[in-house]
Amino acid sequence: MHKPVQLERRGVRLSEKAKDAIFLAVIICPAFILLLSTIGIPIVKSLYMSFFQVSLLSMKSQVWNSFDNYKQLFADGDFVHSIGVTFRYVFSVVAIQFVLGMALALILNGKIPFRRALRTVILIPWVVPTIIGALLWMWLFQPQYGVLNYILQSLHLIDQPLQWLSDMQLALWAVMLAALWKQLPFMVTMLLAGMQGIPGDMYEAATIDGASKRQQFLYITLPMLKNTIKTVTLIACIENFKMFPLFWIMTSGGPVDATTTLAIFSYKTAFIDLDLGKGAAIGALWLIIMLLFSWGYNRLFAIGEGKGGSAH
Amino acid sequence: MRQRRIFGAALPLLGAAAFLLFLVFPLYWMLLTSFKGNSALFRIPPEWFPSEPVLSHYKKLFADNVFTTYYRNSLLVGFGSTAITLIAAMFAGYGFSRFEFRFKSLAMFSILSTQMLPVVSLLIALYTIYNGYGLLNTRTGLVIALTTASLPFSIWMIKVFFDNIPVALEESAKIDGASRFGILFRIVMPLTKPGIFSIGIYSFILSWDDFLYSLTLINKDELRTLNAGISIRYIGELSYDWASIMTVCVTSIVPISLLFLFFQKYMVSGLTAGAVKG
Repeated sequence: MHKPVQLERRGVRLSEKAKDAIFLAVIICPAFILLLSTIGIPIVKSLYMSFFQVSLLSMKSQVWNSFDNYKQLFADGDFVHSIGVTFRYVFSVVAIQFVLGMALALILNGKIPFRRALRTVILIPWVVPTIIGALLWMWLFQPQYGVLNYILQSLHLIDQPLQWLSDMQLALWAVMLAALWKQLPFMVTMLLAGMQGIPGDMYEAATIDGASKRQQFLYITLPMLKNTIKTVTLIACIENFKMFPLFWIMTSGGPVDATTTLAIFSYKTAFIDLDLGKGAAIGALWLIIMLLFSWGYNRLFAIGEGKGGSAH
Repeated sequence: MRQRRIFGAALPLLGAAAFLLFLVFPLYWMLLTSFKGNSALFRIPPEWFPSEPVLSHYKKLFADNVFTTYYRNSLLVGFGSTAITLIAAMFAGYGFSRFEFRFKSLAMFSILSTQMLPVVSLLIALYTIYNGYGLLNTRTGLVIALTTASLPFSIWMIKVFFDNIPVALEESAKIDGASRFGILFRIVMPLTKPGIFSIGIYSFILSWDDFLYSLTLINKDELRTLNAGISIRYIGELSYDWASIMTVCVTSIVPISLLFLFFQKYMVSGLTAGAVKG
């Protein structure tokens, strides 16, 4: 920081630089301590615990069990199955969310009546707590009296009422629909904010050059939104990897294990089967998956960067 | 040609209507269900407007002490974690915005990447640590856990707001002899009000949304928050009492919707500032 020379000559005991350092340490401290004690230390501790046999009922006794937690995970197929379910859920829900979110953001960015009011109204599901959303959709999905089956039947789209949440094939999609309802507003709002940051004269110039709407979208909107898209899809991925309440409330991982994601599987292992060590092992492997995922994600957008550069 | 133009103009409207229906109709249905008597509830075809709205579900709910306890706990925990998040995020965000120090970008990056950590790892370790320090089944423990859930993104958001305030203001105050804390509290903070509002609302919403932490770290009924309480009381019974459940849902949404209606502007600007620029 630039500061006037006079101040330093006033004969204060500590130099301004030292004072800055102390001040900085003091203001960073609260956040640092909080993050260290509830995230930093716990994550190390749980990595450590993953090598021991620890039960929720006897947390004091930690017995080294020579990687038995990990061996078990790979021996029974549940762990691999839950990874599959998680990835299927995350990618589908984020992809659908992104496409629909982009469509709605484009609509709201155009000239449409009441767009200000619309932007506010569509945000409401975002503030609705996830478990409330889960309960609400369970009621809509209710096989006999749920309104969704009624609507679909009166439109003759289905003959039989669908067993949304207890059908092996449908359950994951039903949860996705509820997730989409809750998460779409955030996606739209972020994309819309990004779109409004694109200078209007770029579109004017493109129109003069005879670019079609489609070309404008592909060559102006998308490239200009790249960073926004990267951020919001990453946020959406992270959020959905961790998604717990929707599954826990709507299906508890069922029917059988059709919707048992990593979050559900690990929670059940640690807090229902009371096997903290094995739960921690799932967490450790999950962490590795997340590291690989974020590495791949950055690579993916880096490829896009190369393309964008050559197009200019 | 003309047909195409009409179609082109109508398509966005139709699209907007479809999205609106998808996003708003479930909420309407929730509200409607909470006013339906038991005979109207299971009628096929369903009633689209309340023919004879009843208030009995609400009366029953508010007569229930347990429910009001959950509600109070949620409010207490929400305000507590919001207050702590505000203080910690404001200080740290200011530090990150105004000072250069070693490992700064690494620190910023690690703060954000905490979001990626598997929740179960944190929960397992927190559970054992809390158990050792007697923080299990306390509101304080829950508040601390929830604070760290909203802290990382809050620091990023508020940093963007600080970045936008010209340093010149602080420098002239410094020449006038103001202390560093004086500058922060009297000059910078009043200018960052929108940012402070947005992280405050963000952390309250996050805490009101929490389910996993309160489910795991609290197992005394009188300390449970709303979400965990609802799930334990209403889920997994043989026949769901849908009208009552929808009533709880409506009641739970009220404080958060009020916040939303009053501070919507700040919320959107804060989040977009944090996510789009950060």
